Amino acid sequence: MNPYIFTILLTTLILSTMMVITSSHWLMAWIGLEMNMMAFIPIMMKTPNPRATEASTKYLLTQATASALLMMAIIINLMYSGQWTITKLFNPTASTLMTVALAIKLGLAPFHFWVPEVTQGIPLTTGLILLTWQKLAPLSILYQISPSINLYLILTMSLLSILIGGWGGLNQTQLRKIMAYSSIAHMGWMTTILPYNPTLTLLNLLIYITMTFTMFMLFIQNSTTTTLSLSQAWNKTPIITTLTMLTLLSMGGLPPLSGFMPKWMIIQELTKNDMLIMPTLMAIVALLNLYFYMRLTYATALTLFPSTNNMKMKWQFNPTKRATLLPTAIVISTMLLPLTPMLSILL
Amino acid sequence: MLKFIIPTIMLMPLTWLSKNNLIWINSTTHSLLISLSSLLLLNQLNDNSLNYSLVFFSDPLSAPLLILTMWLLPLMLMASQSHLAKEPPVRKKLYVTMLIMLQTLLIMTFTATELILFYIMFEATLIPTLIIITRWGNQTERLNAGLYFLFYTLIGSLPLLVALLYLQNTTGSLNFLLLQHWAQPLSTSWSNIFMWLACMMAFLVKMPLYGLHLWLPKAHVEAPIAGSMVLAAVLLKLGGYGMLRITPMLGPLTEHMAYPFLMLSLWGMVMTSSICLRQTDLKSLIAYSSVSHMALVIAAILIQTPWSYMGATALMIAHGLTSSMLFCLANSNYERIHSRTMILARGLQIFLPLMATWWLLASLTNLALPPTINLIGELLVVMSIFSWSNPTILLMGTNIVITALYSLYMLIMTQRGKHTHHINNITPSFTREHALMALHIIPLLLLSLNPKIILGPLY
Repeated sequence: MNPYIFTILLTTLILSTMMVITSSHWLMAWIGLEMNMMAFIPIMMKTPNPRATEASTKYLLTQATASALLMMAIIINLMYSGQWTITKLFNPTASTLMTVALAIKLGLAPFHFWVPEVTQGIPLTTGLILLTWQKLAPLSILYQISPSINLYLILTMSLLSILIGGWGGLNQTQLRKIMAYSSIAHMGWMTTILPYNPTLTLLNLLIYITMTFTMFMLFIQNSTTTTLSLSQAWNKTPIITTLTMLTLLSMGGLPPLSGFMPKWMIIQELTKNDMLIMPTLMAIVALLNLYFYMRLTYATALTLFPSTNNMKMKWQFNPTKRATLLPTAIVISTMLLPLTPMLSILL
Repeated sequence: MLKFIIPTIMLMPLTWLSKNNLIWINSTTHSLLISLSSLLLLNQLNDNSLNYSLVFFSDPLSAPLLILTMWLLPLMLMASQSHLAKEPPVRKKLYVTMLIMLQTLLIMTFTATELILFYIMFEATLIPTLIIITRWGNQTERLNAGLYFLFYTLIGSLPLLVALLYLQNTTGSLNFLLLQHWAQPLSTSWSNIFMWLACMMAFLVKMPLYGLHLWLPKAHVEAPIAGSMVLAAVLLKLGGYGMLRITPMLGPLTEHMAYPFLMLSLWGMVMTSSICLRQTDLKSLIAYSSVSHMALVIAAILIQTPWSYMGATALMIAHGLTSSMLFCLANSNYERIHSRTMILARGLQIFLPLMATWWLLASLTNLALPPTINLIGELLVVMSIFSWSNPTILLMGTNIVITALYSLYMLIMTQRGKHTHHINNITPSFTREHALMALHIIPLLLLSLNPKIILGPLY
């Protein structure tokens, strides 16, 4: 793509999220979300193949619907409160509509159907932006309206997300779809704790973004998009196999890696609020997620897939792809657990 | 406690920076030194535990388990030398690193004061074990074995996390030393029943209890020798240790809740002992024998009498050393004939007479011959369960007889009788193997002179 155009698109993307996060007027937040969608769609079309076109179209349709619903919720809130300030909402209808709209934007169940197909159709780098940066804006709005969200609605959607994120990923071999289902499940964990302690939503978001960033960077380093090509990584860069394994185990939420921290904190907050069955159920369903991460771990680091002899004797060239921030990201996504008391800085 | 943890962590740079021909020597020697320093833990106070810091403590229950854990690392390293001989040095160092990491996490588990630290370390031990089983095991079944091992343990332990956090909210602290004095008696209500189940299921799966034991034969059989040794000797005892720690908090409710699990243990020990008599795979036989011995420990812990607690602790240490030794013996067989089928290598006494001595000693301690500590453990458990309910003596007596049967069956099948013709060119035993067996059996025999140290805090 023409570098000037690409620069403008990236700048708009960043600017739009900043607008959503920092605005205090509902109209500006809505404009920010629209700009976000408008800037992202050409980025998705960077490689002009039919898959990307399909992905972009699905993304446009879902996000535009969500924006329309969001505008409706804003207007109802205006009608009942007479002002445009972004605080908690003053009408249960507005609150429900807005939660649903933001759920569509995030990809929470039962509005999750677009996430795997859109993630699959776009290149790895764009998929990284979709699953990490694009979550910031809707979650920031959810954080601000969190006192007024209908509890049952958000808990149902999040529990359903965790279930669907776990079950949906079981039958996948395409890495981008696996990351999409993992994103759905993690969004579920994040929105579970939103009505009780929104700070932990931000903590979970931070750790999730770091882990997803690490995974995508490892995939980009090897240019792999399927489990099969990931299983050949031992021949190209052997150290990547260990790092992939550690990051995947961290995403599965195994102690002592940092992926355990958000789960532990969320379960602690939920038990403090007298909910015991729900965190148990959530934790056990998260094991479904762990199952397909284990399958990837087996493919990468612990077993040798059958392959032709050609594949076992690759030249190990100096890597030409820049592994942006990979060491930092790996350290953060695996070794952050002892620093758990530090998360008070998020307050 | 840092005097054990920091040297153990530093074993890792020692391994990576060693010259290729010194990997085994360096790590074995230094881990042996650390295990000798662990004997300091035996200096226990009579009316309190040794409180090293806010984070770590050791009392007469965890001290023998810690000494066992630290004793086992040099033994594991000695046992692994042969099957890793042909691997490139980086992979050897990786394997040793996994064992050292496992050791560090186990030390921290056994000495944790705060129950959440105990939980995190308990779960963390799964990762190196999984890597050892899946990466260095030999058959394709190891993939399934790793998954069973991981998921059985995790499904049991996630409710434990919720229960521990709930306990922290209601009692204010999860410091074990405080909690044993603060614990409120639990009445019989549905929510207390679920909390009891949540607390205990993790450890019952780990022990393992008879109905949930499917992961154990798979994991033990498919693991390489060091993996089998550490699984049988220490990781199962994590379950027992956890149960012994958490039952003081679970009040009078245990008397009602324990019945189904007692039934499963009592029946399960007879079942798994019987199935040992029909095994063709040697390692599988030893694995089922582990289930049987651990079922005794579970039953002892659930009836909560002073004698049964003492018996459970003694039995855990004794079984740790015995079953680790049996796995080493089975591995010495496997390295020569590359098969675990028992009948393929018979009559070994003619070819390897000194190894036959170790086989004899191991089988005798497995069937709880007096005056070994195996007998002390089993006898205390049998007596206390008899006092809990008289008819159980039928099951207990049957179990003792069947244990003797399969131990002698294993001994006679591998050592006595006419030898098969294809084993007349096996290599003689290495001094390393004899040293390994001696280092297993000597502590076991010495402990029969002073069993007081392994009888736990209630002595």
